[in-house]
Amino acid sequence: MDAKLVNPFIDAFISVMPQIGFPIPKRTRAYIQNKTITNFGVSVMLGFTKQIHGNVVYNMNEDTAKFIASTMMMGMPVAEIDAMAQSAISEMSNMLAANTATNITALELEVDISTPSLTVGKGSQIKLSNGQFLTIEMDLGGHKVDIAIAVDKVA
Amino acid sequence: MEKVRVMIVDDSKISRTILANHLSKTNFEVVAMAADAAEALKLYQELNPEIVTMDMNLPDADGIECSKKIRGYDPDAKIVMISAMKDASLVAQGRAAGISAFLQKPVNTNDIIETLLLLSQQRVSKIAVLRESYAKAFERALQQGILNLIGMQSKITLEVYDKRYLSIDGIAVIIGLTGYPVGRAVLHMSSETMRNFAKIMLGTEDVDEDEIHEAVEEASNIVIGRGVSNINDVFKDKEMRITPPGTIFGTGIKISSPKLTTFKLTASTEVGDIIMNVGFAEGE
Repeated sequence: MDAKLVNPFIDAFISVMPQIGFPIPKRTRAYIQNKTITNFGVSVMLGFTKQIHGNVVYNMNEDTAKFIASTMMMGMPVAEIDAMAQSAISEMSNMLAANTATNITALELEVDISTPSLTVGKGSQIKLSNGQFLTIEMDLGGHKVDIAIAVDKVA
Repeated sequence: MEKVRVMIVDDSKISRTILANHLSKTNFEVVAMAADAAEALKLYQELNPEIVTMDMNLPDADGIECSKKIRGYDPDAKIVMISAMKDASLVAQGRAAGISAFLQKPVNTNDIIETLLLLSQQRVSKIAVLRESYAKAFERALQQGILNLIGMQSKITLEVYDKRYLSIDGIAVIIGLTGYPVGRAVLHMSSETMRNFAKIMLGTEDVDEDEIHEAVEEASNIVIGRGVSNINDVFKDKEMRITPPGTIFGTGIKISSPKLTTFKLTASTEVGDIIMNVGFAEGE
């Protein structure tokens, strides 16, 4: 995959998260994955079309998902990943992907995003590509969020 | 849902043909076409269509006169004016003559269908529009796809899905929909159905897990792609696209899509149920 396409995802995460009440995230690790990832507990997938094709998955464990939902709901305690929490996490993913799309447009590439699909199920496998892709691990106030970036420019 | 019977009144054969083409792939049935006001009234009395589309310029009267005549015969007649010109004075005169809606030529397919749907029912919800215009396109695609891929006839049911999430034990292929309306489609089935489906599709008993997943993924891509083509075929101005598939497998998985209006299409086949859930970010 094109390394240039990774930065729009990282930049979006770093710029959007503080705007919705989170500490400034740090990029902690980048690693190559092949075809599939394992769901840490809660993951959100969005698809890209037009000149960029592929999927991104925001992958986190349940604790992180609760932390994110709670922070987005102004500190309201979140005991389980219920409808409200799912809605908050989907909304965050939507904002991240939309901001990423804006960043990609700045590279003069046309892009469109689908709606988010949130999956709850620790240990389930998610195949998001037919080849290798890069996953960026972000630290969000001590919580870990993986961004699996399986997108490519359309030839 | 029964077909809604429509009469087209327009003096131009081209305009009549274009409109009839737009409507032929939908839930509307064009039962009559009239080229002038006299013919329009005669056909209305004979066939009693549920909705009339009315052009403004007719050789023997204008569209407003013609509408008055039809409403004189049937005070409940539902008429949509489709004219090259649309201004405040025309709309005011039209309203006085009992015309319900006004569209300007060339009409956008989406607008005409939504307008006709709105008129055809007392109170039609956005859900009905999504169901008739979009979910139905996937119903046809699912049936044709299953027949082509594994040679099986299937019985399909379509219903609004109002549960909060999909429960998956087996495999689910998620494909995003972009353009209008934006959304996503999920094709899912149990592990057993997935195995049998893949064996028939690949024509061999000797398949490994990867091949099974890939077969279902490819099948989903074909079926959902065809559904989107069916939609693009009707709504030429709203270019829908599909994102590459993301495939989830395991047990006890829940997939949710907050804020989407979703429909569940179940295809009952000899190898088990093949389920497609298609959701759109529109509706109530």
